[in-house]
Amino acid sequence: MGCSASLPDRSSGRLVGANSDNGGAPDAKNLRVKLVLLGDSGVGKSCIVLRFVRGQFDPTSKVTVGASFLSQTIALQDSTTVKFEIWDTAGQERYAALAPLYYRGAAVAVVVYDITSPDSFAKAQYWVKELQKHGSPDIIMALVGNKADLHEKREVPAQDGIEYAEKNEMFFIETSAKTADNINQLFEEIAKRLPRPTTS
Amino acid sequence: MSSSDSSLSISSEDPSDRNHDLNPKSIEDQLASTSLVEIDAQEPEDHREIQNGVDYASAGEGSHHQEIENNDEEVIVDAAQEELPSNFGVPGGLVEVEEASMGLGRGGVVWMRTNSELEVDRPSSPSSSGYAGERGSSGASSGGVSGTDEVVEDEIQEDRNDAVDDVLDSQASWVPGKRHVDEDDASISWRKRKKHFFILSHSGKPIYSRYGDEHKLAGFSATLQAIISFVENGGDRVKLVRAGKHQVVFLVKGPIYSVCISCTEEPFESLRGQLELIYGQMILILTKSVNRCFEKNPKFDMTPLLGGTDVVFSSLIHSFSWNPATFLHAYTCLPLAYGTRQAAGAILQDVADSGVLFAILMCKHKVISLVGAQKASLHPDDMLLLANFVMSSESFRTSESFSPICLPRYNPMAFLYAYVHYLDVDTYLMLLTTSSDAFYHLKDCRIRIEMVLLKSNVLSEVQRSMVDGGMRVEDLPVDLLPRSRTFPHLGQHKLPTDSPDRFRESYAGVGGPAGLWHFIYRSIFLDQYVSSEFSAPISTPKQQKRLYRAYQKFYTSMHDRGIGPHKTQFRRDENYVLLCWVTQDFELYAAFDPLADKALAIKTCNRVCQWVKDVENEIFLLGASPFSW
Ligand SMILES: Nc1nc2c(ncn2[C@@H]2O[C@H](COP(=O)(O)OP(=O)(O)OP(=O)(O)O)[C@@H](O)[C@H]2O)c(=O)[nH]1
Ligand SMILES: [Mg+2]
Repeated sequence: MGCSASLPDRSSGRLVGANSDNGGAPDAKNLRVKLVLLGDSGVGKSCIVLRFVRGQFDPTSKVTVGASFLSQTIALQDSTTVKFEIWDTAGQERYAALAPLYYRGAAVAVVVYDITSPDSFAKAQYWVKELQKHGSPDIIMALVGNKADLHEKREVPAQDGIEYAEKNEMFFIETSAKTADNINQLFEEIAKRLPRPTTS
Repeated sequence: MSSSDSSLSISSEDPSDRNHDLNPKSIEDQLASTSLVEIDAQEPEDHREIQNGVDYASAGEGSHHQEIENNDEEVIVDAAQEELPSNFGVPGGLVEVEEASMGLGRGGVVWMRTNSELEVDRPSSPSSSGYAGERGSSGASSGGVSGTDEVVEDEIQEDRNDAVDDVLDSQASWVPGKRHVDEDDASISWRKRKKHFFILSHSGKPIYSRYGDEHKLAGFSATLQAIISFVENGGDRVKLVRAGKHQVVFLVKGPIYSVCISCTEEPFESLRGQLELIYGQMILILTKSVNRCFEKNPKFDMTPLLGGTDVVFSSLIHSFSWNPATFLHAYTCLPLAYGTRQAAGAILQDVADSGVLFAILMCKHKVISLVGAQKASLHPDDMLLLANFVMSSESFRTSESFSPICLPRYNPMAFLYAYVHYLDVDTYLMLLTTSSDAFYHLKDCRIRIEMVLLKSNVLSEVQRSMVDGGMRVEDLPVDLLPRSRTFPHLGQHKLPTDSPDRFRESYAGVGGPAGLWHFIYRSIFLDQYVSSEFSAPISTPKQQKRLYRAYQKFYTSMHDRGIGPHKTQFRRDENYVLLCWVTQDFELYAAFDPLADKALAIKTCNRVCQWVKDVENEIFLLGASPFSW
């Protein structure tokens, strides 16, 4: 008991930790990563996380307060497991100044916008810049265009997302938390891009 | 706090002492003597203050001091007002305790500061990135609700002569969220609402409106702002303006003005208290450092900063019509066996010792247990606002959260960090800290707490208490024999299962003995209250709200300036007999059948007090009151 558990990944430079929770030897096959979701309020961050972690979609809006913490472990084909420790942050403006609290020390940042809202795309770009300035230097960033099921209302062309992501060396994907489309793929692709800790 | 040590020692000894004062014998003595004795020998203030410990003598002497209530201008028509004998002496030792709690608790002027304050430097937020004006999902969240036709709160009904405005306004039928977003100040429906609340900036920019879209109400806000400037120039910070049946109440806090326009006939003091809470709720979300935005730019638009919080305010405003804590400035506990609450308190204490500022375990709006770090004190109003914030923000229910919140009575300038986790549907744990990176520590604490609570069956007891409910007037003991300290309907002391139902049936529609319908008992010493369950004939939400408003009015008149150490009031109107009794220890508010016999009603009130004393171990959180330190 004590504060020893707090932000273990901040002290060490290594962002992707081997899962040595139980006192076992560091294990390259069991990764543990801190992931943060950023993006404007209402773009569907919480829905993406709840779809990924619980396989659910609840269309009633539950504006996040501060940030929620959830975790989910996935198994990759090469039989490694990755435990995502996810900070689902609040997109409401009043929390923006507190974002560093949550992205500090994160190995992965998922920046989300809503394909029906150009404003949210602009906001996503704001977050990318902020992370480039203040995030961990080797942070893995993903750009996610959510609500892909609303294609008839689309206002942000996929091409815009792709281009912006390329310019900023990000991984890009369009998802739908509602239909579950590409949600698992998002996290699997992230997992594949994680640096593997070299076992001694 | 210089006085904390002395009052702390008193507070730990006191409960047993006070039991003596409430000895049933003295009640009987009192009643035996002719009831309307009038002795107006004022006991000198300082005399009582010197006393440390219980002053039995004063119980017999000058303390039969009694006051005839002066009605304020807003007296209920036809209210029959009579004095009734006040029963007990003033226990001397309590004076000091009360003063201590005035300093910290009620007065709330003493802000405790912690060294690791973090203030949000708001202007650096993306609002400056040209994103202002986007209202995010606040529109989305309220939009869903506004379509619900059957939800009607403080609905249009000017032509009803009923004092109670909304029929469907109960805890059960109420659905959170802002209604009638489509309205603006030109709509007739908007103008007819019985109670409006607004927050606006000193430059007249709308910040919040209970009904309608803030942005569409800009013209109206400007009018209000003009009135306020006028009021301010007169040198007053708060003002009441009457216009026909409407009262307009202003509360000015720096650049932020809160306004209530009401034709609900609630007393000015109540409305003002409600505005204070609304302002406090805003501070809880943003801290007072938001004022700085106005220093930089007087025309600053604050609405984006409150995005998504409509539901927090509407739920608070709703609680003004059902939650006595909003005017009693006290909290209430979930009834639990003493040992159960102790078990919960012990593990919370353990955690508080490891650097947690406040550990609070609650079930809906009732406290299971709470613990503060040494010398940290939590004001009941802050608890109310915090619980309202957590309960009305749905996202807390989905997973564990870590969020900045500000306790306005604790320190309005700084954020604390709240770890919030629901242990079951209604039960939630809040761990507050000053440290912004304590999340993983608090998570560990929660895991430990949850394990202990499960092991010691606290959570199942909580569930059971929720089902069983609290004190019922039907269960008021009729004899004055010393009672076992357990609710009749809780656990071992239950009557054979077939009898109570039949017994209760015979009472149906009658309430408790002597026509007792309902009561609220507030312990001044503990900053806690207990309210009996509503039962027939106060069974509909409408009746409950009417009674609530009557209590509120009663409370206001009892707390009018210049009241003595204790006083009583007895009112009879076509709805109830209302009886109120305020001593230095407690306040009792009781409602009876309008035809109730006065002497019997008085006797019954004494029984209620005795009953509360008998079960105080279960209905109150004892020995751990951080409020009066
Ligand atoms: N059609 C559609 N709607 C979605 C999708 N994802 C989310 N939504 C809706 O968008 C709204 C907001 O979703 P949230 O997940 O709460 O948004 P958020 O980004 O977490 O917002 P904040 O917590 O305020 O930052 C909800 O009402 C969802 O129903 C999606 O993939 N398709
Ligand atoms: Mg969210």
